[in-house]
Amino acid sequence: MYLTMSFEELDHTADVLIRVRGATMSEVFSEASRAMFHVMYGPCEDRGIMRQITLDAEDPESLLIDYLSELLFITDVENIVFCTFDVDIRGTRLSAVARGEPFDPARHAGGALIKGISYFDLAIVKEKDAYVVDIIFDI
Amino acid sequence: MFEGINKIGDLEWEVPVGYVPDMRVPGRFFLSEALAETLEEGAVRQLANVATLPGIVKHSLAMPDIHWGYGFPIGGVAAFDMAEGIISPGGVGFDINCGVRLITTPLTEADIAGKMRELIEALFSVVPTGVGTKSSMQVSNKELAEVMVSGARWAVERGLGIPDDIIRCEDEGAMPGAETGAVSAKARQRGMPQIGTLGGGNHFLEIQVAEEIIDPEAARVFGITEGQICFMIHCGSRGLGHQVATDHLRVLEKSLGKYRIRIPDRQLACAPINSPEGRAYFGGMACAANYAWANRQVIMHEARKVFAKIFGIDYDDMRLIYDVAHNIAKFEHHDVGGASKEVCVHRKGATRAFGPGAPGIPSEYATVGQPVLIPGSMGTSSYLLRGTTMAMQKTWGSTCHGAGRVLSRSKAKKEFRGRELREQLAKEGILVRAHRDSVLAEEAPGVYKPSHEVVRVVHETGISGIVARLEPLGVIKG
Repeated sequence: MYLTMSFEELDHTADVLIRVRGATMSEVFSEASRAMFHVMYGPCEDRGIMRQITLDAEDPESLLIDYLSELLFITDVENIVFCTFDVDIRGTRLSAVARGEPFDPARHAGGALIKGISYFDLAIVKEKDAYVVDIIFDI
Repeated sequence: MFEGINKIGDLEWEVPVGYVPDMRVPGRFFLSEALAETLEEGAVRQLANVATLPGIVKHSLAMPDIHWGYGFPIGGVAAFDMAEGIISPGGVGFDINCGVRLITTPLTEADIAGKMRELIEALFSVVPTGVGTKSSMQVSNKELAEVMVSGARWAVERGLGIPDDIIRCEDEGAMPGAETGAVSAKARQRGMPQIGTLGGGNHFLEIQVAEEIIDPEAARVFGITEGQICFMIHCGSRGLGHQVATDHLRVLEKSLGKYRIRIPDRQLACAPINSPEGRAYFGGMACAANYAWANRQVIMHEARKVFAKIFGIDYDDMRLIYDVAHNIAKFEHHDVGGASKEVCVHRKGATRAFGPGAPGIPSEYATVGQPVLIPGSMGTSSYLLRGTTMAMQKTWGSTCHGAGRVLSRSKAKKEFRGRELREQLAKEGILVRAHRDSVLAEEAPGVYKPSHEVVRVVHETGISGIVARLEPLGVIKG
């Protein structure tokens, strides 16, 4: 038995491979984004900055890529580091609220810059009591 | 070696049709027995997957720095027929025109002794590195459009370089076919504040000494001498390129059904070269590639100013030897069955290595072939090579791009401590500057294949020739 939501880094020689688990599809998405920001910036606090995202895609994997890519775009242009994510998935429609703080070089520099999210072997799988997905981040 | 792979030469291997279903041509790669010990089966599978793509010509290839990526393996090279073939962002990667340039200075090690710390700190302060950093140079949307079309020339025309810099870049620092309409508003927003920034990961600006000249004639032609201080810049197209790749990958992925293309990995999403989707990707990719050439030009300009100020040397005496791309797709003419044929060559983690007399290389280098730059990992040798006629015959004029990782980031962090590594490198005479020591552990020399072995393989197979070995003295990391 594991905690309902979790992520762990698995071995991947070139890039960053993260295994994400969640009891629901919404939890998987939320945890995937938390993992991505952890890789890029390390610890972060909610200091009242909030962004809303709504997306629609043809399948859950494409939706996950679009969601994480949208967050990459926001962090790159607005210099926001997000730490909490409330995600609601209805079919292939997503609405999410991401909360965080401004980028602070003293606390957030030195992480791995993620260039993109790979489709390679990307499949959200339903196991007995959780959804699981392995995501490769290109760094 | 894995079952089903055939040895066809001392350093050459073949992956036969049937290794994965639907292969159209065999795969081929170059590897020594020593490097074979770290080869991942996943990388070979990716090489074989590329061989299933429509219109692939001759072979799916990989260089000796082959390793497991996504879509194409890293180190992958493939050419596609212009009529029947496809173009794929998976054969280029997210960091479009990630590349390298090498600049010589009139200095020797004796000249810089005692001033290395000052030099590294000065470079670190003028070249933004790592995550979350922005350039001091902000360009307008209109100017960005010029950057995406004119590449390095845009920077030189702004006074950020000298005219000779342009002719010493692959494609003269701006590939044709850039279509600014194929670059989204998001990509532009990311690109505007990032010109002149290094980015993260394995990107770097390194001070090097030309420790050994192996091919004196080619070294003379390239203008490098033993004991000379040089600097090398390794970076790409930043957020603009990443966004172009992300945007077009989604479009191409959705169009697969329309063109009845079946692929074994969604990261190999592609479209016919001459389809609207394929043309749009190429046009956007060319914009990002040109942005990368401008980016490296601006970084070089800033570094030249630092050298000039600290050492009192002339800006113009710091000569760009060459600038190469190692993540790119291009239309090139190659010999196919005795006739010159245009093909779309994808190089993902592979460097163009055109031989003597090949079109498209600077006339001053025509007798020896183009310079090829192979960055080492932090603390290990980098190499200056030259392109060969053999590369034109065997690898679409391509060679390796670097050392290739053998250890994951997570394992690297367990095995190495950033601070100890920094101290160890300092004892060896190599100064390293990064935002945090943790970055150093992930990029420790021990996480890469030995660069000398990778370079030995391309030299002995004849797809490149070693010209000079460069040793690091100081590095700023992304």
